[in-house]
Amino acid sequence: MSDELLNLKDVKKYFGLRGAPWRKAQSVRAVDGVNLVVRKGETVGLVGESGSGKSTLARVATRLLDPTQGRVEIGGTDVTRLRGRRLRPIRRQIQMVFQDPQASLNPRQSVGTILSTPYRAQGIRPTRAQLVELLEQVGLAEQHLERYPHEFSGGQRQRIGIARALAMKPGLLVCDEPVSALDVSVQAQVLNLLADLRDELGLSYVLVAHDLAVVRQVADRIAVMYLGTIVEEGPAAQVYEAPAHPYTKALLSAVPVPEPGVSRDRIVLTGDVPTPINPPSGCPFRTRCYKAEDVCATERPVLEPVQGSTEHRAACYFPEPPTSERKQ
Amino acid sequence: MAEPVLEVHDLHVTFSTEGGLVPAVDGIDFAVAPGETLAIVGESGSGKSVSSAAVMGLLPSNADVTGEVLLDGRELIGLPNDELRKIRGNDIAMVFQDALSALNPYYSVGWQVAEAYRLHHDVSKKKAHQRAIEMLDKVGIPDAARRADGYPHEFSGGMRQRVVIAMALVNDPRVLIADEPTTALDVTVQAQIMQLLEDVQAEFGTAMVLISHDLGVVAEVADDVLVMYAGRAAERGTVRDLFYRAAHPYSLGLLGAMPRVDVPPKLRLTTIPGSPPTPGSITTGCAFQPRCAYTDRVGERCITERPELTPRPGEGDHEAACHLGRRPSDV
Repeated sequence: MSDELLNLKDVKKYFGLRGAPWRKAQSVRAVDGVNLVVRKGETVGLVGESGSGKSTLARVATRLLDPTQGRVEIGGTDVTRLRGRRLRPIRRQIQMVFQDPQASLNPRQSVGTILSTPYRAQGIRPTRAQLVELLEQVGLAEQHLERYPHEFSGGQRQRIGIARALAMKPGLLVCDEPVSALDVSVQAQVLNLLADLRDELGLSYVLVAHDLAVVRQVADRIAVMYLGTIVEEGPAAQVYEAPAHPYTKALLSAVPVPEPGVSRDRIVLTGDVPTPINPPSGCPFRTRCYKAEDVCATERPVLEPVQGSTEHRAACYFPEPPTSERKQ
Repeated sequence: MAEPVLEVHDLHVTFSTEGGLVPAVDGIDFAVAPGETLAIVGESGSGKSVSSAAVMGLLPSNADVTGEVLLDGRELIGLPNDELRKIRGNDIAMVFQDALSALNPYYSVGWQVAEAYRLHHDVSKKKAHQRAIEMLDKVGIPDAARRADGYPHEFSGGMRQRVVIAMALVNDPRVLIADEPTTALDVTVQAQIMQLLEDVQAEFGTAMVLISHDLGVVAEVADDVLVMYAGRAAERGTVRDLFYRAAHPYSLGLLGAMPRVDVPPKLRLTTIPGSPPTPGSITTGCAFQPRCAYTDRVGERCITERPELTPRPGEGDHEAACHLGRRPSDV
């Protein structure tokens, strides 16, 4: 078996819009042709602004949504068309952690019941020891089994969400904004927990987040999404230190940095993300891009290696030059 | 510092609830001068939003507010509602986090900005509409004359927040309170809105109180910072005091817990154990003591005696409420 835990091939997800019957049917192109591979042991950060399609992609990857087109391979098996019972063994390999632990935990179930749900879904009766082990993995204890979600703080609730995702001992966790609802001091605890679990259990993550600093803290590899496509992909250090796509560059420059008095070269983008119902022709970013030329409107640029590195790729006709050639 | 336009002294806010009295704000002081920005920083439950709502007289009837809120020396606490209404939106205006719920979906944005103007100015509808268009243009709404007839749902999140800012600034307020103005926005749009706030502040000399949990935003726009924890001030000083000379273990913890986009990641983030206390749960001693890494160095005092803001020797107006008496990073 290869070490590819997840392989998305040209995945598209369109949502049909119900309009008046005499109007032409429209659809939202939430994910518009994405290729992404996640290997064993690595953490891939999926970043982008709202509407970029990152959450939809996460849901397609975990087969919570059916792709409109393309292929989803989990652990080397094509699972695109699997449904119901045949999907069940696949679900053991890939699990999801959601943004809002308040909404993703049933308030009327005790923690013990919540944690035994994944077992029962697989037709297993968990032992108490198994449930306690799960709690201990995320820094909670046996005494918490009988309690209900409202008795916990936000950070603890997110730990319960993570424990539930770990129940089936998956190889890959897809975390959709796992810390964005938490206070800074608690966010750091959860990020450290994710890192610890990765080291202890050899987990892989797909981390979906809008906070670029959070992603930098944990990801090995970054994929930057814009309007349903990946515009840049590469090792975290390279993408953060030498972004090649103008969008990545602008995005990173917009993040405020906790250094008073240090002025930064900020690229302030004008306007908003265009609607995914009718995305621009050619490069999706060209309407806001400071480098756009006529060619950008012709055909959508494909991901191509940057600076001769096959790992680091950007979809741009005018990528930023390598760091060494940039003016100081 | 120039003569402050807004001064708050010993502000207390207590909510009476079914579960008893909840002290949300327990004695804070701050002041802000024209053209200056004061940031109030804290996590959920720290009392930062309640403080600003108290200044505006916007708290529900079960809130008991004591202390002084002085606008140009005039006491606002206890003013009758019709007096307060003349001040709200006119001398002090507010921008909230969620622009969608701050706007009425049934009226065009131009109408709403004009209405805010007409509340405080005796002008014709036509004049007010012109003023609204002028403001919408100023906050960067393209084609403002036409867009003024649009409704909130026709605007993007960033554009809506611009409309709310136009509405807040239409009467040239002396003080602008911005409560997490960019939290709901994407980072590229956040950069636009913060730039806009800085520009209008420079143009009109508005005093700004920025309430935020985002230390990056604070570092970029604030002159002074007040760090709140459990309804009290943990630390107060200039923005450089906080970021380069943090004197309270909580401030230091916050700075260490924040992942950064501009430097390679640390192996582990520094964390503060536990989570922020619910208001009123800690009544004696230092509210941060149960989570504090330095309490062992001080001992009993942290549990028995509540620390007051005390000046840091040789650091101007920099104050911290901590018994440690030294900068935590020096320990």
